[in-house]
Amino acid sequence: MSRQPHELSVESVDFAYGGAPVLRDIHLHVAEGEFLALLGPSGSGKSTLLRLIAGLEQPLRGQLSANGVPVTGPGPDRAVVFQHYALFPWMTVGDNIAEAIAKAHPTLSRKERRALAREHLIRVGLGDVAPRHPFELSGGMQQRAAIARALALESPFLLMDEPFGALDPINRARLQDLLVDVWQGQTPRRTVVFVTHDVDEALLLADRVAVMGANPGRIIREYTVPFARPRKRTALFKDAAFHRLRENIAEALDEDTLAHLEAA
Amino acid sequence: MSFQPKALVLPSGANNTSNASGRKPVRRNRLTTFAWEPWALGMALLLAWQFIGGTSSAEGNPLLPSPEIVFQALLSSLPELGRGTVSSLLILLPGYGTALLLGVSLGLLAGTTPRLARTFFPFAKVAAPIPPTVFIPYAIAVLPTFHLSATFVVFLGAFWPIFHNAAAGALAVEGRHRDNAWVLGFTHAEYLRKVVFPASLPHIFSGMAVGLGFSFILLTVAELFGANAGLGRFVQYYADFADYPRMVAGILYTGVVTWGAMSLLEALRHRALFWLR
Repeated sequence: MSRQPHELSVESVDFAYGGAPVLRDIHLHVAEGEFLALLGPSGSGKSTLLRLIAGLEQPLRGQLSANGVPVTGPGPDRAVVFQHYALFPWMTVGDNIAEAIAKAHPTLSRKERRALAREHLIRVGLGDVAPRHPFELSGGMQQRAAIARALALESPFLLMDEPFGALDPINRARLQDLLVDVWQGQTPRRTVVFVTHDVDEALLLADRVAVMGANPGRIIREYTVPFARPRKRTALFKDAAFHRLRENIAEALDEDTLAHLEAA
Repeated sequence: MSFQPKALVLPSGANNTSNASGRKPVRRNRLTTFAWEPWALGMALLLAWQFIGGTSSAEGNPLLPSPEIVFQALLSSLPELGRGTVSSLLILLPGYGTALLLGVSLGLLAGTTPRLARTFFPFAKVAAPIPPTVFIPYAIAVLPTFHLSATFVVFLGAFWPIFHNAAAGALAVEGRHRDNAWVLGFTHAEYLRKVVFPASLPHIFSGMAVGLGFSFILLTVAELFGANAGLGRFVQYYADFADYPRMVAGILYTGVVTWGAMSLLEALRHRALFWLR
C-alpha cells in the first residue's frame, strides 16, 4: 500500500493492557487535510487508538506512520488536545502557549514569542487572557486555550480526545464552531483525528466517520459525511439525509452491541 | 426544619428582611464570626498556670513558677536568648538549607528515573529510619567542630522527609502532564524543571514542614550535648542551676521561635501553591 505524504496510516495494529485485548487488527488511513471522527461507545478503544497515533503508547503488533515516517513516540508533528488537564496549571495561559511556540520556532526571542502567543489566543477568542492562570478560566475558555496551544505547535496533525466532552451544551456548540472555523481558515489544512461518542458531533464536524465497536476494539465501518460546509445545525436536523445517516450509524453500533451480548 | 450554616455572613442590609424560608436571618458581624474558642482555651490555660504557680512571692510553687516570675525571667534573659537564637540559626539554616537542596533534587531525580529509583529507594528504606539522634555523639567525636556536627545531624533529620516527599511527588505527577510534556517535545531537564518540580510542590512542602520540625528537635538535642550557646543549651544550662523560671522562659521562647519558623514556611507554601487554591 503506497503511503502519501501528510497522511496517517494505521496498519494491522493490535493493542492490549496486561492480558486484555483492547484493539484488534486496526486498519485506518486518514488523507491529508481530512477531518476524521473516531466514533464509538466507551471501551471501544478509540482513545487508545488516538494515543497510539500520538505515539504515547506502542502497539503490540502492526505499524502506525505519519507523513510516511513510522510513529515511535510523541512529537511536535502530532499535537494533542485532551479533555482534562489540557494545560499546565502553574503556568500562565500565555506561557503555556509560549512553550508550544518555542518548539515550533526555536529562534524567536521571548518578546516575539509572547506576541505570537497573543495572536494565537486572539484567534480562539481569548485576547486578554494571556497573563491569567488556567484555574482563573472557565472550562470552555481552558479548552479554547488548549486548542490554541495545539495550533501553536503548527503541526500537520491535530489529535483531539473528546475535547468538548466536559463542557455544557452551549459551550460545546461554540467550541465546535470555533474548531471548524479555525481548521478551515488554515492553508494547508491540518489533518484532524477527533475522538467522540456523540454521533451528532461527529456528523457536524467530520469529513469521514470511523465507527468503532467494543470487545475487542475494532473499526466496524467507515462513513463519508456528504454534507456541504458550512454546516448549520438547524439545517442539518431538517435534512432527511442527515437523519438517515444518523440512523445507519446508530444501527451499526446497536448491531455490534447486540452481536456481542448474544455471543457472550 | 432547614439547616442554617452558622458561618453564613449576610450583607448588613439583610437585618430585618425575611429570607426564603420565612425566618428572619440572624445578624452576623465580625464579632460573632471571630473564632473565640482558641483564645478562651489560651486564657483558661493561663489561669490554670497562675493557679498552680501560686503567687509571685518566694512561697510560690518552686517547680512551676507563676506566669509573672517566668515573664520577668524571660525579660531579663532576652539578650542571652537573642544570642542563642542566632547561634541556633547558624546551625539550622545551613543544615536545613543543604537538606532542602539535596533532598529536592535527588528526590525528584529518583522519582523520575527508574534506574535511580531502583538503586536508591531500597537504601533509603534502610537508612532513613535510623534516628539521627544516635549520630550525635559520634558526629561530635569525629567532626572537628561542634557547629559542623550539629549541622550534619540537622541535615540528616531534614533530608530524608524532604527526599521521600519529593520522590513521592515526582511519582505522583499526573499522567496527563507527562503526556503534554512529551507531545511538546520537552527534554528530560525541561520536564523536571517545568513540570515535575511545580507539580511536586505540594508534596515537597509537606516534607519541608516535617523536616523543619525534625531539625528543631535535633538541633536542641545536639545543643544539650555539646554547645556553649543556643536555645537548647540555654535550658540545659539553667537546669544545672535549678533555675526553673529561666528554664520555663527558655521553653516558651523556643516555642515562639519554632512557631515563627513554621508560620514562615506556611506563608511561603500559601504563596507558592497559588494555583491550587
